[in-house]
Amino acid sequence: MNVRVNDLWFFKSQSFFLVLVIALISIVAGILNPNFMTKSNMFAIFQQVAVLGIVTMSMVLLLISGLIDLSVGGMIGLSTVIITKLVMNGMSLEFALITGVLVCLLCGFLNGVIVSKTKVVPLIATLGMSYVYYGVALVISGGLFLTLTMDFDFLGRGKILGIPVLMIIFLLVTAGTHILLKFTTYGRRIVAMGGNEEVAFLAGINVDRYKIMNYTLSGGLIALASLVLLSRLGSVLANVGNGYELRALAAAVIGGVTFEGGRGTVLGAFLGVILLGVVANAMNILNVSSYYQTVVLGAIIVSAVVISNIGKIKG
Amino acid sequence: MNVKDSEIIIQTKKLSKSFPGVKALSDFSFELYQGEIHCLVGENGAGKSTFIKLLTGALHPDSGEIIFNGKSFPALDPHTAQALGIQVIYQENILVNQMSVAENIFVGCEKTNRFGLIDYKAIFGEAQKIIDSLGIHLAPKALVESLSTADQQFVKIIKALALNPKVLIMDEPTTMFNAKDAEKVLKLVRDITTQGISVIYISHNLKEVSQIADRITVLRDGQFVNCHNNEDKNVDLNVITKEMVGRPVSIFYEREKSEIGDVILEVENLKLTRSSTPINFQLRRGEILGIAGMVGAGRTEIVRAIFGADKKVGGTLVYKGKRVNPRNPAEAIKLGIGMITEDRQKTGLVLSMNIIENTTLVGLNKFGRIILKLKKEAQAVWNFVEKLNIKTPSLRKEVQFLSGGNQQKTVLAKWLYKDIDVLIFDEPTRGIDVNSKTEIYKLMSQLVKNGKSIIMISSDLIELIAMSDRVLVVRNGAISSEIQGEQITEKNIIANAIEVN
Repeated sequence: MNVRVNDLWFFKSQSFFLVLVIALISIVAGILNPNFMTKSNMFAIFQQVAVLGIVTMSMVLLLISGLIDLSVGGMIGLSTVIITKLVMNGMSLEFALITGVLVCLLCGFLNGVIVSKTKVVPLIATLGMSYVYYGVALVISGGLFLTLTMDFDFLGRGKILGIPVLMIIFLLVTAGTHILLKFTTYGRRIVAMGGNEEVAFLAGINVDRYKIMNYTLSGGLIALASLVLLSRLGSVLANVGNGYELRALAAAVIGGVTFEGGRGTVLGAFLGVILLGVVANAMNILNVSSYYQTVVLGAIIVSAVVISNIGKIKG
Repeated sequence: MNVKDSEIIIQTKKLSKSFPGVKALSDFSFELYQGEIHCLVGENGAGKSTFIKLLTGALHPDSGEIIFNGKSFPALDPHTAQALGIQVIYQENILVNQMSVAENIFVGCEKTNRFGLIDYKAIFGEAQKIIDSLGIHLAPKALVESLSTADQQFVKIIKALALNPKVLIMDEPTTMFNAKDAEKVLKLVRDITTQGISVIYISHNLKEVSQIADRITVLRDGQFVNCHNNEDKNVDLNVITKEMVGRPVSIFYEREKSEIGDVILEVENLKLTRSSTPINFQLRRGEILGIAGMVGAGRTEIVRAIFGADKKVGGTLVYKGKRVNPRNPAEAIKLGIGMITEDRQKTGLVLSMNIIENTTLVGLNKFGRIILKLKKEAQAVWNFVEKLNIKTPSLRKEVQFLSGGNQQKTVLAKWLYKDIDVLIFDEPTRGIDVNSKTEIYKLMSQLVKNGKSIIMISSDLIELIAMSDRVLVVRNGAISSEIQGEQITEKNIIANAIEVN
C-alpha cells in the first residue's frame, strides 16, 4: 500500500506554534521567578484551568460541527444552584448530583431541539437560553450565596497517586474528545456537518438528530464541569458560571478552531486552554495587577487569531 | 471582423512561468487585436489560468515580456493591469447578493452627491443607461439574489464594463447556463467588441467557441499549439479537439449498450407543488435514463424530491416492487438510491475534509459502527483513488485543492462505495476536462453493465444523446415527452424543451 501522508504537518500547525509560545513564556517566567518551574505550580495551573478546559472541550464539539452554545455559563449556574439547594433541603448528595447532571443534559437537549427544529441561528438561540437558565438559577437561589452543607471535595481537591483529580479529569476529557472526533463515526459525521451541512444531509446523515445529540453530549460535559466547579468552591451564586462561554470560545479559537465549523483540533484547543492558564499563572507569580492581566488576555486572543489568519493567507 | 486591420493591443513574447515541479507556461507568444474575440482553449491544466494571472498581475512571469499598446512590461502588478484597462470576469460569484444591481455595479466607485453621501438617483440612472446600451432587460433596483444565474452573469459583465476596460477577460462565462441564456451572453460579448473592447474568452464549450471567436488559440501542457482564424465561424472542431489532447479522441463517447432488465423504480403521480402536473415515469435495471430540459425547468427539483432531499406534495415511488416514500436522503440511501448533485463544491463535497473523509461519508458504517477502522478505510479509499485515476499528492489532501475532474471523481467514489442500485447524476461532467469526462462516461457504462440503473440530468445535449437509452424532456416542471432510440436527436430534444407557441 502506498498511502502518502504529509509528515511535516505538525510543524506547520497552530498547535506547534502554541507549544513554542507556551515554552517561551514558561522559560521567561521561570527565569524571573524560580517558583514557576515547580511540579506543584504545574499542578496548580492544571487545577486552575480544569473547569475551563472541560467547558472548552464541549465548545470544541459544538464549534467543529457548526454549532455554538452561549448558554453554558447559565447551565453551570443553574445546575450548581439546584444541587446545592437540594442538599440544603435534605436530599442526599448522590441524588442531588444526579439531578444536577440531568439538568445539564436536559438544557443541552433543549438547546439542540430549538436549534435543529426551529432553524434559529445557534448563536441567537443559545444566547436567549443563557438568560433563561441564569434567570431560573436566580429564582431558585433567590440571588443568595448558597453553601453546600455536605462534604464534596474529592473532585475539586482530591489526589490520586499524588496527581490532582481535577487534572486527571481534564486530561481524560481532552483525550476522550480527541478520540471521539478522530476515531468514531459520530465524530466524523459531526465534522462533516460542520464543514458543509447540506453535503452531510445529502450523504444520509440525519443532521437534526446529530445536532440534538451533540448539544446533549456537550450538556453532559457541562454537567461534569459544574460538579468539578462546585466541588472546588463549596458554595455558589447563580452567576458562578457566567463568562465561561466566552473564555471557552477564546481558548478554542486560540487553538485554531474556527467559527465556521469543520475545522480545528482538540490538541489546539487544549493548548489554548493551557496557554491561558500559563499566562495567568505567570502573571500572578510575577505580581502583575489583575487589571493588566485582562488587557494581556485580550491581546493574546486577538494575536492568536491574527497569526492563524496569516497562516491561512500564506496557504 | 478582419482582425488584421486593427491595432494590436496586447502582445506577449516568450512568456514563461514555472511552479515547483511543473512548467505552467513556456515561451508563450500571443497577440490580441483591438475589438477581437480571442478564445483560449485547452484541457484543465493547459496553462490558460496561468496566462490570465500573468495578464492581471496576480502572478509574475519568470521570463518574457508583455507589451500593452506598444509599451513593454517585464511583469504586471494588479494595480497596473487595472489602470491599463484589463478587467477579468471570473467564474466565482463576486456580487453582493443582498444589494441591488446598480449598487453592485458601482461598488468601490460609488457616485456621491455634494454631501459625500451616495447619490442613488445617479447610480440607478447610470446603471439603466449601461443596461439599455447593451439591449438587455434588467431592473437596476432588483436585488441580485432575486436574479437568475444568467442575469447575475450580466451584472458581473456590466460591473466590469462600468470601469471602461480596454480588454475584458472572461473565464467560462456560460458554464452554468442553458442554451437560451448562453446565447444571450454570447450576443452581449459580440456587442461589447463593436465598442472596440477586446475580449479574451476561455471556454470548455467548443461549439460556443466556434460561434463566437474571431481567432482561437489552442494551449497544451503550457505550450502554444496553434492559432486558428475563425472569421467565417467555420473552424473544424475535430482538429481543435485533436490539438487540445494531442491525440485523436472523439468528443462523442461511444457507449457500449447494456442489457435492459425489468422495472426497478416507478414514479407515480409525483407532485412538487399543489398546482403542478403529476409526474410519472419508470426506470429499468441496466438503463441510463436521460433527463433533458432547460435550466430552471424543474429537472433538479424532480430528482431531489425522489431522493427525499426536498418535500413533495404528493405521489409515491414503487421501488423493487414495494411502495416506498423516502422522507429524507438517509431513507433513500437505505433503499439503495444515491444522488450526485449538480454543484460539487457546494453540495457534493465537504471542501475542508480530505479525500478519505469525503469518499467514505455515505458508507461510513462499513468501517465500524462506532469506532472507525482508519487503516482499513485508508486502504479502501486508496483502491478507489487508483481505480478512478484520481490525481492527488496525498490521500490527506483537502479536496478543495483538487482539480474539477478529480473532485467529481471523488464525489463518484463516495457513491460507488455504498451498495447503490439507482444512481442519480445531476450534470455529471460540468466544467471538467475531456479526459475526466471520458473516464466518468466509462464508469457510468460499467455501472449499468453491472445491472445498476442511472438517471442522468444534463444540459450537454451531446453527452445526453451519447449516453442515454431513453430521454425524458422536462418543461415547466412536467415531463413534456419521452424520446427513445433513433429519435434521440438534438433537434427533437430542443423542440420539446422549449415553449412552442
